[in-house]
Amino acid sequence: MNPISPSSGMRIALSAWDAAGANPAQSPETQFKDFLVRSLAEVNAMQHEADRAVEQLATGGDISPAEVLTAVQKADLAFKMMLQIRNKLVQAYQEVQNIRV
Amino acid sequence: MFSAIDISTSALVAQQVRMTAISGNLANLTTTRNEAGELKPYQKRHVVFETDESIGTGGAAGVKVASILLDDSPPRLRWDPGHPDAIREGPHAGYVAYPAIDMMTEFTDALAVARAYEANLGAIEIAKDLAQQTLRILI
Repeated sequence: MNPISPSSGMRIALSAWDAAGANPAQSPETQFKDFLVRSLAEVNAMQHEADRAVEQLATGGDISPAEVLTAVQKADLAFKMMLQIRNKLVQAYQEVQNIRV
Repeated sequence: MFSAIDISTSALVAQQVRMTAISGNLANLTTTRNEAGELKPYQKRHVVFETDESIGTGGAAGVKVASILLDDSPPRLRWDPGHPDAIREGPHAGYVAYPAIDMMTEFTDALAVARAYEANLGAIEIAKDLAQQTLRILI
């Protein structure tokens, strides 16, 4: 059996973390931004996939309801996760804004 | 992270195919002719599964239908000389060759499908809950 490895998203995050810790000269913001943009694209792709699945089901395509509902649920979970990250970013921004100079 | 849900969904789809085969077997319980109209009793369909490595990540694997096989067991002979498809001559004259399908076995298989489907739905539910609970780390 192959060893269980963390999912790709986690690996990216971890590698960004390692790079930031090991080599501060390398700008970690760019990597985090890339990661964020890629995550957004992934969430968007999931939403599109869910839309396509629903459309296929509604128009009598060869797809089982289980697949459609899973696609919708995955898109929902991914979106919620993205929303939480966005909330955290906004919260961090507001905290910085509240610092008295 | 969603591979657990993907794997369970692959199982749901596979079990649906199995249920379709069982429905077909039950529907053709007394079918004595094939699609071309020739005298050939329906052969029971068996759904065979295989692992689907393309779905899971790292070690885990989904499931997919490998093939649907035809049962080769001999047909059941039932005495019914008035039937238009009854065997005309030979030692079995007067008998009708019906498919070798046992209704009870099919129903038991259908129940097994229902339990497997429920189990996979439960697994999806848990994976979904875990994903949702994980979001609470950030709050």
